Parts: sequence; C-alpha cells; structure tokens
Amino acid sequence: MGRVADTAGAGPVSAQAGVVTSSRPAWLSEAAALFAKDLRAEMRTKVAISAIGVFTLSALLLLGLATAALKEAQIPIPDTDLTRPAWDPAGKMALLWVLLCFAAFTGLAHSFVHEEETGTSLALRLSMPAGAVYAGKLAFNLALIFAVALVATPLYMLITGMPLGPPLVFLLVMIGGCTGLAGAATIVAALAAKARGTGALYSALGLPILFVFLALLLNAAKTVYAGPQPALDVVKAVGGLFSYGILLITVSALTFGFIWED
Amino acid sequence: MPARQAGKTSASGPGRWYNSDKVQREDHNEASVAWEGVGHRFGARSVFSDVCAQVEAGQVCVVTGPNGSGKSTLLRITAGLLQPSAGAARISVNGQPLDAVARRPHLGYVAPDLTLYRELTGAENLQFFARLRGMTLSRDDLIARLSAVGLRGRGRDLVSAYSSGMRQRLKYAFALLDQPSILLLDEPTANLDVDGAAMVEQVIAAQRRRAGGGVTIIATNEPREVEWGELRIRLEPGR
Amino acid sequence: MTTAQTQPPPTASPPPSAPEPPAGIQGAAWKWGVGLLMCYVIYGAFFIARNAVGFVGDSARIIFFHVPCAVLSSIAYFVAAAYAGLYLFSSHPEKRFNLELDAKSAAAMELGFLFCILATITGSLFAGMQWGTFWNWDPREISIVGMLLLYAAYLVLRSAGGEQPDKRARLTTVYILITLIPTVFLVWVVPRIQALQSLHPTSVLANPKNTSAAYKEVLYPSFLAFILLFVWLFQLRFRLYKLGAKDRSR
Repeated sequence: MGRVADTAGAGPVSAQAGVVTSSRPAWLSEAAALFAKDLRAEMRTKVAISAIGVFTLSALLLLGLATAALKEAQIPIPDTDLTRPAWDPAGKMALLWVLLCFAAFTGLAHSFVHEEETGTSLALRLSMPAGAVYAGKLAFNLALIFAVALVATPLYMLITGMPLGPPLVFLLVMIGGCTGLAGAATIVAALAAKARGTGALYSALGLPILFVFLALLLNAAKTVYAGPQPALDVVKAVGGLFSYGILLITVSALTFGFIWED
Repeated sequence: MPARQAGKTSASGPGRWYNSDKVQREDHNEASVAWEGVGHRFGARSVFSDVCAQVEAGQVCVVTGPNGSGKSTLLRITAGLLQPSAGAARISVNGQPLDAVARRPHLGYVAPDLTLYRELTGAENLQFFARLRGMTLSRDDLIARLSAVGLRGRGRDLVSAYSSGMRQRLKYAFALLDQPSILLLDEPTANLDVDGAAMVEQVIAAQRRRAGGGVTIIATNEPREVEWGELRIRLEPGR
Repeated sequence: MTTAQTQPPPTASPPPSAPEPPAGIQGAAWKWGVGLLMCYVIYGAFFIARNAVGFVGDSARIIFFHVPCAVLSSIAYFVAAAYAGLYLFSSHPEKRFNLELDAKSAAAMELGFLFCILATITGSLFAGMQWGTFWNWDPREISIVGMLLLYAAYLVLRSAGGEQPDKRARLTTVYILITLIPTVFLVWVVPRIQALQSLHPTSVLANPKNTSAAYKEVLYPSFLAFILLFVWLFQLRFRLYKLGAKDRSR
C-alpha cells in the first residue's frame, strides 16, 4: 500500500515508518522550506547580512559626516523674515531611499547568484516547481530588506534629524518601498544569475526598474511631509508605491518559470 | 487511489506555479522511458541526433560514447531539465505520460554537476529535500538512509567538509529519498571507492527488483559498468 | 507578420551572383517613398510652417522631429513587448518559442533605442534654446531618460546572454515583460505626478485648434514619415536576422 498523497485534506499518517505528509498547499510549504533553508544557511555563513550591513553602516557614517553642515543650513522664505531648513524632510527621506536601494542591490542578489554559482539550482529544479522557488526567494529577500530598513531608518533619523511625520503614512511608505525594492531585486537577481553576469549586469538590469520606482518614492516622500492634505493625495502616492511593487511581483511570478528552467 | 490525468504536453510550459497533476508516488509504480528521435544541438553544433530506444520497467539501459558525445545531455533531456532540439524523451508512469515538470517527483538523478548545499550538514540537506517532497524524516529514518549510502555518523558534518566520495554518496541518498521509479545515473561510480561501487551495484539491483519494475539509465564509459545493463546505446559524436 | 518575398522563378541560366532585390516592404519603392516623404517633412519644417507664438526663435520647428521620435520610442517598446508575449505565451505551437519572434522583438527594441536617443537629443536642444538649460528634471524628460536606460539595459542583457540563442531569447523576452511595469508607469503615471512641475508645452500641442493649418500640413506627414521609417527599418533588420540565421545553420 502506498503513501497517501499530500493534497488538501486532513493530514494522514502513512504506512511507511517515519514519514508524515502535510496538508497545506504544496507550493506554500515548499516555499517555506526554501525560506527556512536560506535562513539557516545565512545564519551560518552571514554572507548577505555582512555585505549589506557593512555597506549600510559605512554609508550612514559617511552621510552623517558629509551632511553635518547641510543639516544646519537655512534658506530664507521669500516675502517673509523667516527661514526654513535647506534640506527639507522630503529630501532627507529621498536620500534614505537611495541608500536603501543601494543596500538592496548589494545584498539581495546573493540568494540567486549563490545557487547558480555553486550549481545547487539543479537540485532545486529537481525537487520543487519554479513558482515555489520564486516565492521562497522573494520571502527571504523581503525579510532581509525589512530587517535592514528596520535598523537603518532609526539610525538615519538620528543622524540626519529626519522627522517621523504622520506615523501611519510613514509606515505605509516604508513597507511599500521595501516591498517594491525586494520585488525588483529578486527578479533582477534571478535574471542576472542565469545570464552568468557579473555585478555590473545586475546593476544595469536593475537600474531602469529602480529609476521609475525612485520617482514614485520621491513623490511619496513629499506626501509624507506635506502636512495636512486631502486624503486622496496620500492614497494616490502610497497606492502608487504598493501597486508598482505588487504588479512587479505578479509579472515576475508569472514569468519566473521561463528564467529558471532551461 | 485514482491518479489524475497527467499534465498536458508542451503547452503547459515551464511557468507552472504548482504541482497540480501529480501521479501518486507509490512503491509499485510502473515506469517506462521512450526516446523518440531525440537530437540536440548547442547553437550550430549538433551533439547527437536521432536516438531511438525504449526502456521498460525492470530494465537497465547503459548509454556509452566518447567524451562530448552527449551522454549527460541525453540524461538531462530525459530528466526534463532540458528541451531537446528534435524529438522527445517520453516518460510514462502507470501508463500516463508525464511532461517535463511532472516527471521530476518520479526521478532519482545523480550526476557530476549535481551539487548539494555545502553550508548545510548532510542530514540537513536530506531533511530539506525530503521536506520539498512532502516527507518529514524522523531521526531513525535519517540514520538509516545515511548508513545505507555509507555515511553513518557523518550526518552532522557540513558538506563542505566531505570528501568528493562522500559527496557522491550523499547524492545517492538524495536521489533515493522518495523511492523513484526511474533512476538516472551519470557516471555512477565517479569518486567512489570499491565499497562505494558495490553500493551502487546494490542500488541498481534493488531498482530492478522494485515492485512494478524500476527503470535505470546509466551514462558511463567504464567497461565494468557497461556490464550492468542489458540495453546498450552508443552515442557517436557529431552525428 | 512578415511580408511574403516574391522571388522570380529561377531561369535556366547559372545561379545569379547577387540575390534578387527584395519586393515587398524592404523593396526599393518603399525606400524611395519614405525618403521622399522625409524630404518633404524637412522642407516643410523650415519653409512651410511659420514661427510659433511663444517659442524662442525658430525652436518650435523641432516639434516635427522631436515628437514623432519620442512617441515612436514608446510605441517601439510596446511592439517589442507584444512579440515577447507571443514568444512566451502563444498558444500556437509554431509560434511559441519561435526564435523569429524573439528576433522581431529585439529589432523593435534596437529601433526604439535609436529613436529614444534622437528624441533625447532633440529634446535637449529644444530645452537649451527655449529655457536656457539643456536639462531640467521635468516629468517628460524623466520619462525619456527612463526609456533610454531601459533600452540600454536590454541591449546589455542581450549581449550578456549570448551563447545560446534560445536561452538569450528567454531571458530577454522575460525582461521586456517585466519592464512593462516601469514603462507603463513612465508613460502614463510619471508625467501626471503633481509634485513635479512641468515645463513641457504638451497640452498646447494636443489640442488641434491651437495649431495652424500650415503646421498640420507638416506635422501629420512627419508622423507618417517616422512611422513608415520605423516599419521599413524594422523589416530590414528582421531580414538581416534571417540571412544571418540561414548562414548559421549551414
């Protein structure tokens, strides 16, 4: 008698010793397994984390040093006696996003490039469908970029004095931005890894996608600090961010199989 | 237990999101492999052309040929990892044809270019790949599998610390995880010592005896290994 | 969709040393037709159309060249995306994964790159004349730079994926489809972002009442000329590919 298949239904125990099948949809548990494996490997080797970490910390320090004078500068508001800071909060957030973009493209390539270079992608192809691979890798990259943003943003606010603004909008912009970044970086990494390209190819491919995303991020940054405004404007700005990321991820999921398989 | 209709042929493409059309993996699946005019070229260079053969359940087929004649390529095509330039490598299990993606749960694949994760231990590798196939291995099961390939006691070591022979043994443990009805072995005894070669022979014998009849396809140039198969195919380069 | 090439039937004489000149869309009639139309447009830009109100000097004449190029560079991308989609997803077994479709999408991208460069240069010249600086970051300029980066990245990927044609085809067609998202945002969303001021006199041109009859006499033919130029170059490029493919398979 054979083993009961792992399709939806109550989780059965098989007649074979020591083998238990799961009842979740197959691709979700496969993606989760891949995520767990990547996490375990990363905890052990710390390749991606150290790359991103070193980059982010040094960039933050450099930024702090370079903008110390800029922080204090004031420019006069026309027709009044008042002055306003030369470096407005929206500009500060813009620079934070540039930093996070570079951090993303430094560290998020590792997941795919490593698989291709060591040749373990073959074992994965034999073991799980392409869609689950994409989901697992995307989840890992999302976790990584969120972790980086979680550490870097408070530090950045400390260094540059960027205010929080309305907390909900701020949080939504951070989440939307990180999601888009992870989506872009993941699919570009998959492409560049398969093309056996160097880091230069990775950057070249990611640039057009990030360029547009940065324009949207700038717009969202302005919205965060624009003070009282119609809710529609906020929805449009934040919605733009999320829609870009989600659309990108959707198209990536649909076409990933063509990249992954030979 | 009804096996659902197997997947569509070429129209489904590699972009499939999930394994929807699984034929149940059971001990007594009866598999067969058919090569119908298989040919492949890389760019302008033709590797081989017009390979025709049929391997039935319980049979062992050996593919030989000089270096560069495309033995590994033929195995990759059979595994569904590569689309052939001409012809088709058809696999059916219990009479149902399986497309390139659907056949992979039924395969055990060992090859020089197969690599397992060096930053994980042997046991962690097996656990991971077992999880991907919907299995969870108990501790006893793990020990049994590692012992079966001669890696008893080495499960806790990182694969980066393994010798090349040990890595080859781990590949067999990986390939045999799910009792595949089709074994594809490319250079089966590469890096293995005498004990290892004996293990491989046992694996092939067990595959033959498998309920329903397992298929084994070997790609090799070793004369001793050629003896292991009753079906022999020789690939000539450039034809 | 390739046009059929009608070759005259082989005569009894020994095979000709040079191939027959192609009929159809690559043929000489087309070449001369597009050339003459373009000559008319150039003549018209300088002699038929009069100076526009509100523009510095003669700078408005660049509209006849800049706008068609910019529009065509976006259209070229969507043409390439359509071929890429057919390549990957066509339900017709002959068309799916047919390398000719990939070659067509590559041809469209190359031409799109060309037109994008032209649009950027002409736009920058215009900005220099009209507003003094050769570059301002207004939304349309951002859009054209974004497209330029995209085309360049595509060409980089195409050269990097180069060893096997079908692998290169898969990677590049997927890239085109993925970059549909940034392109759609560039073409339709970025120009509408309120936060960025726009220097572009786009709304003026879009309303037909604002342009005199003389302008229309040159503007519409110039659009036609550039579109025909694109089609003709596209067919030439595809023909080049087919000749190359024949050569490679020998």
